[in-house]
Amino acid sequence: MAAIEWGFSINRPRVIDVDRNNLRKSDEILLEMPELQSCIGCGACTASCTAGNLTNFNFRKVHTLVRRGEYQGAYEEMNKCMLCGKCRLLCPRGINTRGVVMLIKRKLGDF
Amino acid sequence: MTMNFFAPFCIPFMVGAVVMAVALVVKYARWIYELPRADKKLMLHGIFTRRSLEAIWEVFRESLLHRRIFKVNPLLGYMHMSLAFGWFLLILTGWIEVVAYLGFTYVPLQGHVFFKYFATGLEEHKPVFNFLMDFFLLMVLSGVFLAWCKRLYSKAMGMRRTTRHVLGDRIALSALWFVFPLRLAAESLTCAIYGGGGFLTGSIGSWLSAHVGGAVLEALYEPSWWLYSISLGVFFVALPFSRYMHIFTEIPLIFLRRYGLHPREKESSFDNFEIQACSRCGICIDPCQLQSVLGINDVQSVYFLRDRRYKMLTLSVANDCLMCGRCETKCPVGINLNSLRQNSRDTMRNIPDESRYGYLASVDRSEGEGRVGYFAGCMTLLTPRTLSAMERIFEAAGEDVWWADRNGGVCCGRPLKLSGETDSAKKMMRYNKELFYKHNITTLVTSCPICLRVFKEEYALRGIEVLHHSEYILRLMRQGRLKVKADGGKFTYHDPCELGRGSGIYDEPRAVIEAVGELLEAEHSRENSFCCGASLANTVINDAQQLKIARSMAAEFAQTGADTVVTSCPLCKKTVTRGTTMPVKDLSEVVAEHLA
Repeated sequence: MAAIEWGFSINRPRVIDVDRNNLRKSDEILLEMPELQSCIGCGACTASCTAGNLTNFNFRKVHTLVRRGEYQGAYEEMNKCMLCGKCRLLCPRGINTRGVVMLIKRKLGDF
Repeated sequence: MTMNFFAPFCIPFMVGAVVMAVALVVKYARWIYELPRADKKLMLHGIFTRRSLEAIWEVFRESLLHRRIFKVNPLLGYMHMSLAFGWFLLILTGWIEVVAYLGFTYVPLQGHVFFKYFATGLEEHKPVFNFLMDFFLLMVLSGVFLAWCKRLYSKAMGMRRTTRHVLGDRIALSALWFVFPLRLAAESLTCAIYGGGGFLTGSIGSWLSAHVGGAVLEALYEPSWWLYSISLGVFFVALPFSRYMHIFTEIPLIFLRRYGLHPREKESSFDNFEIQACSRCGICIDPCQLQSVLGINDVQSVYFLRDRRYKMLTLSVANDCLMCGRCETKCPVGINLNSLRQNSRDTMRNIPDESRYGYLASVDRSEGEGRVGYFAGCMTLLTPRTLSAMERIFEAAGEDVWWADRNGGVCCGRPLKLSGETDSAKKMMRYNKELFYKHNITTLVTSCPICLRVFKEEYALRGIEVLHHSEYILRLMRQGRLKVKADGGKFTYHDPCELGRGSGIYDEPRAVIEAVGELLEAEHSRENSFCCGASLANTVINDAQQLKIARSMAAEFAQTGADTVVTSCPLCKKTVTRGTTMPVKDLSEVVAEHLA
């Protein structure tokens, strides 16, 4: 019996299960760049982003996902960054965002 | 007269000399063989030109007299000169002395070096040579004495901090320190027994023969020559593998540099000449703000070059540098410290990725039709006052402008290049270059010295004149297209690293400021100006450290008595603002406020 086309589909669950994710890389990143834990998620980095202005690159999203062990595609996303450094000047917590980009790329090159 | 020119004590010296000669020949031959083809071509084209003569003159000035170290501190300069030039004169006069006594006959190397030992049977003495040899020995000894003093109290020679040396350097250093006192002892003992000698060795010799028993002198005689030979041998063996490699390496470096060779974007064989010409004098340590303000002790150029030479360079050392260029202007060997650090970063971080920045292809948000293009740059978009000031200036001058990135553009590529991702940075550069050509501009004005530098150095924009807004504004004023009125305001100016030391633009912004008010210079300005601390080249230091540097450098501005700090870099403006309570303005803002 052919299924009835309702125009809807079922989304895959989007819950991030931190207990099941492998946080080793995430821990390594936080160990090298502990200031990343002081991020309040305000999004100033993303709002000012030169690459984000041209694409859907979202620095806040990527580093937040990485910290929760969601590494898939993080390297490719970070490769959109131009490293221009505007985000670092705007960050209210003074996080070394350029350092974070370079660190995530270094740690997650093979994901 | 026949002389025997061999004694067993010569062996340590001879072994040392042979090891050194072989090591030097092997090293230099390999480096030259491995030079990129283009560099070899430059070398061949340069050899038989005037440049070789100029190089010889420079070798005399820098490798022997050390003129550039005299500029740092006269006493420090004398110390290096007395060691290098004094030793050179000792060797040269020694050879002439041998010829004067024996005529033009073959004398083996050790015969020259230990001539005093072999020449005890001479009937007549030539007092001129006795005097000269003693005089030059005294000159070298005074240098050694100063070197000892420098270890104890370096401030006397204008150095607050000196290099912390590795073990190999310490061994070589100790051997060098002993060479000349031991030579003095050996020659004085010889004079005590056989007579002769000048005002130094002769006097000590006659004092010794008067006060010390003949048996004691005989017992000390051979061992003193042994010790002298051993210290020479140890020093020669250590030389090619320690900091003292600089003694010889500076010479080919000077020649190659005159032929137009320089460190490239990627590591190349020429870098070896620069790296091993570093004497680890440590003059680069004091100018470094990471050292003077933050107390970071292991990343300065001297340590960077050392680590790279011994293949123990880490990413954190390579990345922890503001690339402000303060050390580069002081380096007595003139090593291209920033270029070397940058190509190290390239080696460590460059990952070519063809698919990267594919999204740039369809981007063009530029507007306007003018032949004059304005590239604000990322940082200027973050300091909108600069942008609006430039808009007013363009309008006042009646300039028709093509706005490259007012609505968001693509980064110039320099930040990525500074971080080492050279190949990816090229993609952005290619994009921007094509954009400039597409819109047929003839002049490109930018407010950001970071962009300016990369446009000038990397883009190769044929047919497009690249100007910083300070140059452009001054040109408008001189052409009479921009009228400003002075109102007696007092300004002080901060030289951005990339604009000043990076691009050599010091006078234009100053001329603009003087047209609208009074310019009061801070203590450190022009080539000596401090970095604001937020340099994009450094991805290691944190926010608190950046702020500390900004505060320390901005403290000088308050002392000038000026009302306003002016700078001409949007990044510097942001940083200086954090470091001071004084108002900080971009040059364009000041001009826009004073438009007549």
